[in-house]
Amino acid sequence: MWNNLIILFIVIPQATGILSILFVNKTKVTRTLGTISFSLTSILAVGLLASIREGGGIYTSQMGGWPAPFGITVVFDSLSGLMLAASSIVALGCYVHSFAILDDKTERRYFHPLLQLMMFGVNLSFLTGDLFNLFVSFEIMLMASYALMTIGGSKEQVRQAYKYVLLNLIGSTVFVIAAGLMYGLMGTLNMADLAAIVAEKRAIGEPLPTGFTTVALMLVFVFGLKGAMFPLWFWLPDTYYTVPISIGALFGGMLTKVGMYSLARTVPMFLAVGDHMPVIQAVIAIAAVFTMFLGVLGAVSKHNVRRILAIHVISQVGYMVFGIAVLTGHALAGCAFYMIQHMVVKSSLFLCCGIMEKYSGSDDLNKIGGLLKRDWLLATLFIVAAFSLVGLPPLSGFFGKLVIIEAGWTTGFWYLSIFGLLTGLLTLLSMMKIWSYGFWSPPRGEQVAVPAGAPRIRRLRPAYIGVSLLVGTALFLGFFAQPVYQIAFHAGDQLMDPTQYIGAILGEDRAEQIRFAVANHRLPRASDREEAVAIPAFAREASNNGSLVSQRSADLSLGDGGVVHQLSSAGLSDASTLFKTIGIGVEGVSP
Amino acid sequence: MTVILAICVGVTFAMSIYLMLGRELKEIAMGTFLITHAGNLSIIAMAGSPMVRAGLLKRAPILSELGLRVDSLPQALILTAIVISFAVSGFLLTLVVLTGRTQQTLNVDELASE
Repeated sequence: MWNNLIILFIVIPQATGILSILFVNKTKVTRTLGTISFSLTSILAVGLLASIREGGGIYTSQMGGWPAPFGITVVFDSLSGLMLAASSIVALGCYVHSFAILDDKTERRYFHPLLQLMMFGVNLSFLTGDLFNLFVSFEIMLMASYALMTIGGSKEQVRQAYKYVLLNLIGSTVFVIAAGLMYGLMGTLNMADLAAIVAEKRAIGEPLPTGFTTVALMLVFVFGLKGAMFPLWFWLPDTYYTVPISIGALFGGMLTKVGMYSLARTVPMFLAVGDHMPVIQAVIAIAAVFTMFLGVLGAVSKHNVRRILAIHVISQVGYMVFGIAVLTGHALAGCAFYMIQHMVVKSSLFLCCGIMEKYSGSDDLNKIGGLLKRDWLLATLFIVAAFSLVGLPPLSGFFGKLVIIEAGWTTGFWYLSIFGLLTGLLTLLSMMKIWSYGFWSPPRGEQVAVPAGAPRIRRLRPAYIGVSLLVGTALFLGFFAQPVYQIAFHAGDQLMDPTQYIGAILGEDRAEQIRFAVANHRLPRASDREEAVAIPAFAREASNNGSLVSQRSADLSLGDGGVVHQLSSAGLSDASTLFKTIGIGVEGVSP
Repeated sequence: MTVILAICVGVTFAMSIYLMLGRELKEIAMGTFLITHAGNLSIIAMAGSPMVRAGLLKRAPILSELGLRVDSLPQALILTAIVISFAVSGFLLTLVVLTGRTQQTLNVDELASE
């Protein structure tokens, strides 16, 4: 019963999205609907997470009742749960914030349905257990985000959107090709099935099909592009700069994490297993260094709050890539924790920036100032979020970075750890820049006049509620890091040793097979389970006898019953054609 | 058959990349449409004919009373991909039209210099 509840993460936003199209001109109705939808998904995600905190269980559901490798699987394990909970809360915060920031016209241009549909795509990509379905959910999410990006229709927005659509179209094409090739090579697209096949092949020492490394790198490219990993991050700063700030907060907090989540899901489970693991690990590790360091250098050089925050997204994506590159359960747990805390903290910083702009009419640090005197609440919220981002103990960023950097230090990735620490220092510098120019120093230079009818706290109340919700969540992640880490460590272990994941989706028998193969370096034979399965006497004799000829004849005679039966029903006359078709050796069998 | 398909995929890719290197927004958009076709073609090539595939892949073609049947999953993948790329292409063309109306030009250099 609990298993099928996870469908609600997909159904609720989709249904709300469709309903809000009906009420698109009644702002009050759509706002209420949207708030209910996001609150419900948040509560559901947190509740389900709490239920798997101790044992690290996995909820699965098969779409349409089709059994696992054939139908589409929806999986709620520790990693998906963490991501879903964080993304739902972030969406709720940004959504409430938008009531105060967006103008009425924008809101009626299908902002509410689009946001719901984007969350539908995001939730589906966190839940899905199928590679092609992941592509589809990416597209649902991207399609809504294209529309959200151009929602005002201004010149600058259209220009940036063109770039964004173009890049993502190319990324999607590579994804489709990679998914097709993966199906061609492995005969399946179900992630659990892929993980099972790869683990089995590795255990019995059979090489993976030729070209697997290429396909794996193609997938890393695609997820890196969506997640703004070096050298694929160039699209990010401009595109997140032009959208309305509430939407920008959601994009900056969430969309890159979807790419990172996919990387964290696929790389340890099946992409980087076996002989080609060092190749992929090296590629990701180098990318991590550059992503972290170049991102933060870019942020230090900018002088606009929005631009600083947008470029910072890249730098922090580097930490997640770092966690994935180390490839241990510990590092992946740190990566999972860092992802959720970054989602919350980064979005709350963007939202603070939205309120700052409302006060001073600009986000240029040369033109604003003195916000501390004008509004101490905003200043407090900002400084807590900024310190969380930097990673000052006991705030959430500290616990994220601590585990990742420690894991890097103990596994020979010390250079990544050094760059990680250095990046933290520069992050502090750029955050202090916003603080000292924007909040602390008195207003200087040609200050932009505050727009007429200057916003009062009352009018901005929803914005404050949104930011407070997110900052509160960030504080919770900092002060109650232990229970969250308990889940995160389950997530890391499940990723490194996917037998539990395989067992939940493909059944315990399959997971047992994998465990057996890993322990004994061979596949379980029928004789291993004699008591369980009754096998024909001649076959047992043959396998005990061990001679090649009798083995083969036993194989054939075992196969014969089925084949002959099928032969007659298929109405084919030439037996050898059929044997060739099914891939059985035909030496010694005269047609 | 596979060779012919491979050549088709290669030529389509080459053409699309050539178009994407152009200086007009329209050309670039056309290039991306072509590249999605190339992707779909490559999935067909990967699926191959049932006889060739059988020994190579995990799931052999299904035998039924209707005779040999091909694995229908690659077709399903392509169908989904076509529909999605169709929608995205439509959106991209809308953006091209919007840009043309607001900026009076579709040349990348002129757009960048503004």
